[in-house]
Amino acid sequence: MKSVLLMAAAALAMAVNSNAQSIRVRGSDTLGAKLVPQLAESFKKKAGGASFDIAAEGSSTAFTNLAAGTAEIGMSSRKVKDDERTFCKTKGVFIKEHALAWDMIAVVVNKNNPVAGLTKKQIAGIFTGAIKDWSEVGGTPGPISIYTRNTSSGTYKDWMTLAMGNKNYAAGSQKLAGNEQIASEVAGNKNGIGYVGLAYTGSKGLKAVPVGGVAPVAANVDGYPYSRPTFLYTNGDPQGKVKEFIDFCKSGEGQAVVQRVGFVSK
Amino acid sequence: MTDHHTDGLIKKRTWLARALDRQLLTRRGFALTASVTVAVLILIIWSLLREGSGFFSTYQRELTIYRQAGLEYCDHVNKVVVGHEEIASGLNRALAAEVATVSAAARARRDAAVMATSAVEEAAVLSREALTAALAAESPDAATIGRIRAEVIAGQRKAAERIQLPDILTADEMQALREQLTAMQPDAEGPPALVQSLTAAAAEQDAAAREKFAALGTAAEEFEAALEPVATLHEAMKEIAIATKEAATQQHMAEDAKEKLLKAAGETTNAANADIFNKDAAQYDTAAIDFAARIQPLLAKQPEYEAVLPSYTAAARKAIAALPAESETKSARDLVGKAKDHFATHIAYADESAAQMKAWKWDEPIPKLKAGTHFLFGGDWITNSSWQDFYGVVPLFTGSLLIALTALLIAMPFSVGAAIYTNQFAGPREQAIIKPAIEFIQAIPSVVLGFIGISVLGDLIKSVSNVEWLQWIPGFPVQERLNIFNAGCLLALMAVPTIYSLAEDAINNVPRSFSEASEALGATKLQTVFRVVVPTASSGILAAMLLGLGRIFGETMVVLLVAGNRLSIPDFSDGPGVVFQPAGTMTGIIAQELGEVSQGSSHWQALFMVGILLFFVSLIINFAARTLVRRFAVARI
Repeated sequence: MKSVLLMAAAALAMAVNSNAQSIRVRGSDTLGAKLVPQLAESFKKKAGGASFDIAAEGSSTAFTNLAAGTAEIGMSSRKVKDDERTFCKTKGVFIKEHALAWDMIAVVVNKNNPVAGLTKKQIAGIFTGAIKDWSEVGGTPGPISIYTRNTSSGTYKDWMTLAMGNKNYAAGSQKLAGNEQIASEVAGNKNGIGYVGLAYTGSKGLKAVPVGGVAPVAANVDGYPYSRPTFLYTNGDPQGKVKEFIDFCKSGEGQAVVQRVGFVSK
Repeated sequence: MTDHHTDGLIKKRTWLARALDRQLLTRRGFALTASVTVAVLILIIWSLLREGSGFFSTYQRELTIYRQAGLEYCDHVNKVVVGHEEIASGLNRALAAEVATVSAAARARRDAAVMATSAVEEAAVLSREALTAALAAESPDAATIGRIRAEVIAGQRKAAERIQLPDILTADEMQALREQLTAMQPDAEGPPALVQSLTAAAAEQDAAAREKFAALGTAAEEFEAALEPVATLHEAMKEIAIATKEAATQQHMAEDAKEKLLKAAGETTNAANADIFNKDAAQYDTAAIDFAARIQPLLAKQPEYEAVLPSYTAAARKAIAALPAESETKSARDLVGKAKDHFATHIAYADESAAQMKAWKWDEPIPKLKAGTHFLFGGDWITNSSWQDFYGVVPLFTGSLLIALTALLIAMPFSVGAAIYTNQFAGPREQAIIKPAIEFIQAIPSVVLGFIGISVLGDLIKSVSNVEWLQWIPGFPVQERLNIFNAGCLLALMAVPTIYSLAEDAINNVPRSFSEASEALGATKLQTVFRVVVPTASSGILAAMLLGLGRIFGETMVVLLVAGNRLSIPDFSDGPGVVFQPAGTMTGIIAQELGEVSQGSSHWQALFMVGILLFFVSLIINFAARTLVRRFAVARI
């Protein structure tokens, strides 16, 4: 029953697809909120004739959609996991990786927070809950409010590995749906701290904190401790418009967009 | 119906109509729709149970690996580490409070100057970025750079002239700062001179303060340093345990993948693909993990732990004993007192931990019901962890319950009051306005309400909580704008129409003879309403409230957006102020996590279990409401 439905859906999708030539892109919120839509816009302007359908709900959805045949391109802020690759394989989808850009995860605090910088150890302490008050890191006394992405996000897990020594998040942390929500909560709470992709550090009311003296700006991509590569994934070698789009992303023009949006081209 | 009929008045029946009995057809049609509804309900329950039923065995297996791989063993040490961190944090805060008595003023002056500088820089941020880009360009164009530089300076000058400086800075300082900010160059080395001198002054004050409170400072430092050997050992132990767990997961995954690949190979019609699948399947190593051998290096750490532990406890005791008896500030005194209290329980646990670890057995079987009790009574909901996932529903359940009760408490007076008023006191014209108006609330989409909660209500609650004369309210000032109270207010609004309509029905159902009898006995209208009508309808009103509660409990969108999603049991030490804390809910967690977890994993099954629990809660609430109505129903006279 299920497979029949799936096939019907796939057939329908294919019919729609052949008409509109729509490229369906699914996956990471970090990539799908700004970068990929902008790349798609530039691509359309240049090549024309293609339309995009982009939905961004977390890196895991890239692979479930690729496997189900409901996406031509998957966006991910982390490398594909072994079990995801196998899962795709069993559905007859052999995924191929394309490096897109580097992202830097910035630690943000409220603009009115006098803390001018944090060390890696302090950041690990704050996010694991060992450090509970701003006065412990030289700020104005007040309980620290931690805002994190929710558990399905690639960034949630990346942050654990990059910054927290694989320890669990503090029990008091609040799990929010996306970068935008973290930015707006931190902007609204003078005791707030959170992490966002580099592209969001310019949001109103925020301040990106230098980590161990290294500011999260594109020029510091090598020295900054929380840098990570991001990827696009396709089903096998890309064909037709999908191939053109991937090539465009890797080209000088595409990488210019990458830099404009706040990611790092390397 | 009658024998008498005239041609032309009654249409002749066609053969089709004669062959089919219309009445029977209609009846069958309705019976079909009814049975489809029931069938769909059964299908929903069945699929919920099917997806969720695997949870207990999966979770049981995960808990077994948690024990057999030795993660549980390491968590004994982890408890010591966490307890230590708690106390260290308290001592550091106490130190900060003491230091602030000396250096707070100097720091505030520094911060004011730094803020002013960054505000001025911020004003020209766009041209600053353009300047960086122009300088980084492959062929820097001197003219462009010069133009943008001028723009930056002009923007900063404008901002510097307008900026409000706080009066903790002296008039001279303000003037100096303003001048320096106006003259600030985009590529200047370091901040303006005044900022530098204020920073130096604050650092000097800080150093002096630390000197003054050296006793506390050294004690805190020594306490923190005492853990070092234990922490190092803990990390080493964790590595061993996690490697075993990783191997066990890999092995399980390999089995799973092999099975899937072989199955896919059997089903596919593409011979080339089948070959690939078979070849891939053969590559997986599915040999069982030898837990008994892998646990040995971990258990071998026991003597090491027993060796470092006494030196830790001795050093920690010494540091705590060295804490100064007197403190300058009340908050420091409280914090030090609390740290000492915590220390007593912490050190007792630490002393005991070695014996507990010795008694721990890796191969002791996990009790059969463990997965179930862990789920129902476990206080941790930790998913996608790098250490161990726990699915304890208590934090989510308490969050849901607190939000629902808050909402009910707010909605009750409004909806019941409105129901009594419209039914008993309002004239027909008022009724014609009030009823549709209240029922219209139901038409507002919940996502819109959620948006109002984020953008309006949250900030409103926060600003009201900062009002000076309201500070007696527990929980004020509120730190988080996304909290239980915020969600409760919005959900109350959603529950009002439900409770109002049902309560109004209940009051309407009170036989007229009751109120007529009451009025005939000379009771006033008010007496009739509150002594006769409302008490008679009370079971119906209660049922209305219960159904309203059910409506709130199952609501998803608002709590997902507004409740704050803090997945820990709320801290009740604040009394009623607990409602100003953020919380996670059962509905919210399903909406947030289900879309992304891989199908069939323990996490997926756990979310279905939460769904089943929600289903039962609704069932119980509805059942209670129905029983209430039936048991206390008034006989119609």
